[in-house]
Amino acid sequence: MGVTARSDAEKSQVVIAIDGRFDFSQHKAFREAYKDATGKTTKFVVDLSDASYLDSSALGMLLLLREFVGSDPKRVRITGASEDVARVLKIANFDKLFTVD
Amino acid sequence: MHALNASRDLPAPLGLADSGPRWLGRRGYAMIVEPDPRIAEVMVPVLAAHACGCLVLTTAEEAIARFEAERPDIVFVGTDLPGLDGFEATRLIKALAGDRFVPVILTAHQRDEALLLRCIESGADDFLLKPFRASALRARILVMERVCGLQQRMSERNQTVAALLERERMEQALAERVLDRAVKGRNVVMDQIGMVFRPAAIFSGDIVLTQHLPNGALRLLIGDFTGHGLAAAVAALPVADAFHAMTRKGVSDAQVLAELNRKLYQLLPADRFMAAILVTIPANCEELRWWNGGMPSGWLKTSGGLRELTAHALPLGILPDLPLEESPRRVRLSRGDHLLLMTDGLLEAHDREERMFVTEGFPAVLDAWREPESGRILPALCQALDLHGQGAEQLDDIAVLDIPIETGLFGTPAPVSDVPMHSGWTLTLELEGERLQIQPTLESMLGPLGLVDGLRKEIVVLETILTELYANALEHGVLKLDSTLKATPEGFDAFYKERARRLGDACSGSVSIQVDFEPSADGGSVRMQVRDSGEGFREADTRALALDTQRPWGRGIPLLRQLCESVRFHGDGSRAEVVYRWPLRPDPLRAGRNIGTPAFSNQ
Repeated sequence: MGVTARSDAEKSQVVIAIDGRFDFSQHKAFREAYKDATGKTTKFVVDLSDASYLDSSALGMLLLLREFVGSDPKRVRITGASEDVARVLKIANFDKLFTVD
Repeated sequence: MHALNASRDLPAPLGLADSGPRWLGRRGYAMIVEPDPRIAEVMVPVLAAHACGCLVLTTAEEAIARFEAERPDIVFVGTDLPGLDGFEATRLIKALAGDRFVPVILTAHQRDEALLLRCIESGADDFLLKPFRASALRARILVMERVCGLQQRMSERNQTVAALLERERMEQALAERVLDRAVKGRNVVMDQIGMVFRPAAIFSGDIVLTQHLPNGALRLLIGDFTGHGLAAAVAALPVADAFHAMTRKGVSDAQVLAELNRKLYQLLPADRFMAAILVTIPANCEELRWWNGGMPSGWLKTSGGLRELTAHALPLGILPDLPLEESPRRVRLSRGDHLLLMTDGLLEAHDREERMFVTEGFPAVLDAWREPESGRILPALCQALDLHGQGAEQLDDIAVLDIPIETGLFGTPAPVSDVPMHSGWTLTLELEGERLQIQPTLESMLGPLGLVDGLRKEIVVLETILTELYANALEHGVLKLDSTLKATPEGFDAFYKERARRLGDACSGSVSIQVDFEPSADGGSVRMQVRDSGEGFREADTRALALDTQRPWGRGIPLLRQLCESVRFHGDGSRAEVVYRWPLRPDPLRAGRNIGTPAFSNQ
């Protein structure tokens, strides 16, 4: 359970991996994962391969990250969503706001 | 014992008997239940030295009888009592103390160890093995004082927490009531709609709004805010306000959605939004307009099967403006169809193994409903949901709606001119050819548009004015008839025969009429302009003719002058313009203006 951030300075990319339930309890850790990055240039990959569940507060956290990168849909990529997690992202039409693999 | 009662803080004589006078100490008051006077003799001086008052009794019965009156702060109970034993005595004393913490310390002989354990189980707080030394007793007293202090602080804190919780609960209940009325109070036809509503918190993040459009159509919104509780409820208020006000005015789906989105975008922080479905069902039940922003699919059941209304738009409040391609969609509808809408709390409801309802129970319920004769879906859905959620906690708000497409859903269409209008208007009419034969009236021109209402009181006079103007334009302008024909009865007859003949010949002329109405506080004014295609006439002639009140012709224009505030001719008389104003303003120069009497004098 938790959020781990892996920073790749060369590619100017931060991979944020979520393990377990992606809900309000991850709020602080998720924010910590990107707040020190340079909002204007860094690319983010939110890896949901190990996320078992995603609720509306998690959607809210993704929107905060989107705000952080200046609402550029190409700067945040969401990957590895399982069927349940992908269903929530699809209903919310988040593919219009992020790059969803 | 922490000076629990200051009133006991009295100077007291030392020296005691086995049931001696009550002796109160500064730090507290001890009750000693001890059959062996030698033991009591050891205890009393230790307690006295600790500024503790003592009452020495020899039986449990006596201790229990006097407990209420004496209200000791600590009780020492010997296990070797005659009559009631220490076990029973401890139980009864603890029961009498109720919520007040009164430590009970057992004093036992070594051989009573089994009994001792039972006593501890029955509620005693500590024990001393007899014979004991003064230092051991002093240590027990100090420990119990500390426990008492802890107990007291905890009890105070508990009371504070309980009071705060109660106040919070009351305030939340009040706020919920206020919001409930503000959000749901204006809804319509909720009794026609099947609804299951299960909030997870005292304030639900799910809202349902219904309102009629002026044409009777029903508009419904089911919304799901991020999270629940006060934050969600606060944003529900402006949403409900805008929804009801705009729908009552007949504003379009797209405009309502744009406004709700704008409001929520301004109000909510970036991570908060509202998923929603908005549907509008017209009273003829022929077409459903729907918009789904981030909600689970709605399901429309028709005679042809189920139709899925998939989320095609982002939830409201995320983007500053709604993207154009996310506009509402349309689907054919028939009476007897059913519309099923839900929030994600239903589909994501977990069972004990964390499996979601969307994969476990929901598909079967939807499949059964698909059948033509399946009946209402909500009872089956609730049954399946209850079975699924057994033993699991409900984490999110659940709202499900079953809307039967029936006539009961719709409002009464508002009449076109329901409200009094306060603005003026202009109407222009062009007549030519055969159309000229029929004399137009204000009633026939304005009635269908509801424009007569503002001039109802003056309509007779206004019709007279229009008739005169039209006749003048037609007869003299277009048909070029000579009024002097009317000087004799034969001529009168000849005039009208000639008029009919010329009208019948493929007439190439035209007459245009323009009527302007300008309302005032207590009446208004009408300007009529009538233009014909003829060559005009000499106005001076008509003035001369009017001087002879006995002549049967040439009365039209003088009559107009009599009735109107102003009469003017332009373009050699081919365009007449009159202004009629009411109510009449007192005007000494125009006294005697009256249509009833033929006062055809000119000014």
